[in-house]
Amino acid sequence: MTSTAAADPLAPCVHCGFCLPACPTYLATGDEADSPRGRIVLMRALERGELGSGDAGLVQHLDACLGCRGCEPVCPSGVGYGRGLEMARERLFQERGLPPLARAVLGVFRHQWLWRPLFALARVFRATGIPGLLAGGARAGFGLGMLAATRSDVTLTPSRGRGKGAYPEARPLRSALGNNGDNTTHPTVALFRGCVMDTLFGHVHHATRRTLEANGYRVLEVSGQVCCGALHQHAGDREAARALAAENVAAFAASADYIAVNSAGCGALLKDYGHLLGTAGSQAMAAKVRDISELLADVGPRAGGRLELDVAYDAPCHLQHAQRVHQAPLALLRAIPGLRLDILPGSDRCCGSAGIYSLLRPDMARAVLDDKIAGIAAAAPRPRLVTSGNPGCLMQIGAGLRAAGLDIGVAHPVELLDQSYRAGGLYQ
Amino acid sequence: MKPELIEALGRIVGPRWLRHRRAELATYTMDGLPTRESYPGVVVMPKTAGEVCEVVRLLHLVDVPFVARGAGTGLSGGAVADPDAVLIALGRMNRILQVDPCRRRARVEPGVVNARLSEATAPHGLQYVPDPSSQAACTVGGNVAENAGGPHCLKYGVTTNHIVELEVVLPDGSTTRLGSRQGEPWGPDLVGLFVGSEGMFGIATEITVRLEPLPESVRTMLADFSTVRAASQAVSAIIAAGIVPAALEMMDRACVAAVEASIYAAGYPTDAAAVLLVELDGQTDAVEAEAKTVVSLLQERGARTVRSASTPADRARLWQGRKKAFGAMGRIAPDLAVQDAVVPRSALPDIMDRIEEIRLSYGLTISNVFHAGDGNLHPNISFDRRDPNVAGRVHDACRDIMAACVAAGGSITGEHGVGSDKIDYMPSIFDAETLGAMRAVRRVFDPAERANPGKVIPLHACREWRAARGVR
Repeated sequence: MTSTAAADPLAPCVHCGFCLPACPTYLATGDEADSPRGRIVLMRALERGELGSGDAGLVQHLDACLGCRGCEPVCPSGVGYGRGLEMARERLFQERGLPPLARAVLGVFRHQWLWRPLFALARVFRATGIPGLLAGGARAGFGLGMLAATRSDVTLTPSRGRGKGAYPEARPLRSALGNNGDNTTHPTVALFRGCVMDTLFGHVHHATRRTLEANGYRVLEVSGQVCCGALHQHAGDREAARALAAENVAAFAASADYIAVNSAGCGALLKDYGHLLGTAGSQAMAAKVRDISELLADVGPRAGGRLELDVAYDAPCHLQHAQRVHQAPLALLRAIPGLRLDILPGSDRCCGSAGIYSLLRPDMARAVLDDKIAGIAAAAPRPRLVTSGNPGCLMQIGAGLRAAGLDIGVAHPVELLDQSYRAGGLYQ
Repeated sequence: MKPELIEALGRIVGPRWLRHRRAELATYTMDGLPTRESYPGVVVMPKTAGEVCEVVRLLHLVDVPFVARGAGTGLSGGAVADPDAVLIALGRMNRILQVDPCRRRARVEPGVVNARLSEATAPHGLQYVPDPSSQAACTVGGNVAENAGGPHCLKYGVTTNHIVELEVVLPDGSTTRLGSRQGEPWGPDLVGLFVGSEGMFGIATEITVRLEPLPESVRTMLADFSTVRAASQAVSAIIAAGIVPAALEMMDRACVAAVEASIYAAGYPTDAAAVLLVELDGQTDAVEAEAKTVVSLLQERGARTVRSASTPADRARLWQGRKKAFGAMGRIAPDLAVQDAVVPRSALPDIMDRIEEIRLSYGLTISNVFHAGDGNLHPNISFDRRDPNVAGRVHDACRDIMAACVAAGGSITGEHGVGSDKIDYMPSIFDAETLGAMRAVRRVFDPAERANPGKVIPLHACREWRAARGVR
């Protein structure tokens, strides 16, 4: 970014329009008010006071931005769209607050005593198998499909629905670490647990832990950690995000060499804590944060057993655009013998999940998702699984696949590597 | 705009596809040239040719002007509407209707993005050649309106050479077809007349294009020079040797610096005064032979280094840098005036010197990135509009550059069109009688001049206008 861009991240925009085809909402509507360039016009007008937070047209189109930042890597002038959006949303939040549904959802994520029991209930409901059975294309069915998609779809047999109990969640393991005996030479990794990941995607945390240990890392648990605050930050509630961030910074102080995150959305904000809080502690924490794929790719990862599967990779926006991590997840997947990796056209485009966006704006979220699902359905050979390193994407794509009646599951890349290690006898 | 008209338009396209709130209209006040700004009265986004037809027929009945718009990447203020006009945005009409590999034709709706078309035809070994630098975003409909060019038009011709048939909605709302799918016009070449008419003759709702086979072999070379003059002379030397490269592009030091600072950094040497991008294509033997000649010509004319792209990825990188160059100008200053003019190739060395003189005399930042092979210049003036003294200087510098190009035997636009940006320069290359004739042609299609009003033809310069006002 140029020096002008640091002060005013939107200043370098020369209105060339090269961002239009990279914007999922513009592709869905063809409306320039739903394009990055159009929104930059709106954000500048808001900043200059020409349009206010009470302007329904302005609010509608700024709210409709997914925040995927797919426009950033195609911008020749390096416009800081994400920063500009953050400032605009903060301003809107201060002036008009949030719609009731958003306020309720974000309120839940502020307090563990609220979200833990709620997600525990959801897990019980998931275990009944009802969400999977009733999943469909209508609004309620799609929501159930999202919940069903949080269950592990990774099994060695090709039919879906066997995920439950196929493997116990925690197993003793015989890893590189276990055989070595000398723990001091191994880099230490603190696991960031998060909220949705910790409750609905516990199996991914287990896989994360096992694969890290199998690759020579020592995994530590850190108590006192809370939700990362990304959802609040995206909604413009900077104070709530800062409060959560401060708790995490205190919890993770001097905890390990690295902090591993297996949710791209959380990782993007954790890496940005330095900017959010501006303290030495937050900067020190942010510098240690790595996506799980980065940590594994840094050391190989070591190869496991064969996994004969057709898998389509879908890049989470907050990994590829916000964190600029492109190759690490692919390196991880390519380390799995037998796995046939396909990168479908449009796999680098947002799925429409975008945090709580799919709850607040279900119609646009579905319009954005439809193209992706159509692309997956048309792929030859048709993938068995779609893999992506972010819980929102897994839920959104998983629900979309069910709504389209496709027998294609979803999985986090680390689950596949874990399965490969299991098949290869790396675990006891 | 009357509420009854807005309501009636909403009934045609569906209320969801109509925009009339101030904030929404603000996002349509400019195209790719942010120095020309105007709020449209209302924006409609039709999905089908039938809807376009109904909208235009309604506007004919109530005598309201309209402007067609694709992706809004144009650079002459052509796709911008005044408050009394309806802006018809065609981005939703984005279907590729047919690809016919046997006859090498594709039939598309106007909102299809240029680059998507070549992607769709590549599996058949075919391409749609005209490749404006904005091809990743701009639409085929907009290309037809502007008769768009692009780097590869040096060898293959501009948009008009690749359009064989058009379905158009005329300004009175009637639909007609121009040209024929075989490519042979019946009678006068009406396709040729329509392409490049900048939205004054109606709206193309279906476009049949000619596809070309992908070349057997492609060689892309990058040469760098320590003076702009030497690079300009090398351009003429290549053409004089009887070689027509697929593309022959120049970028000067300021432009290279902006590109190399961007994510499209292509490895252009930042210490060079100018770089040339030369692409040869065709049969392998011929390309190899021509490449040898080109390399020695470049070296004779003082190229410091000449390197060839070794892989398709390397080649794509060299091109991405060139094609995104104009978008990278935001790295120099927040505002940009992109110019477009043409001079005879032999005049290039002198005109580049003259542009440098103009730059110095006004104390401006000008970077040059252009289609050197056909003498099509794009001086980019970077400025910051918050500086109160700068607007006048930018305007005067543009005027002086245009005057210099016209004096050198050139023209005021190569490919961006006249739109509203160049309208004041029209009398510098056309006399009143010629402008009057243009206006007469316009009125054949559109007697009330409601289609893209106020663009291209300066009324005050027309003879009949003068007569009516008793000027003379």
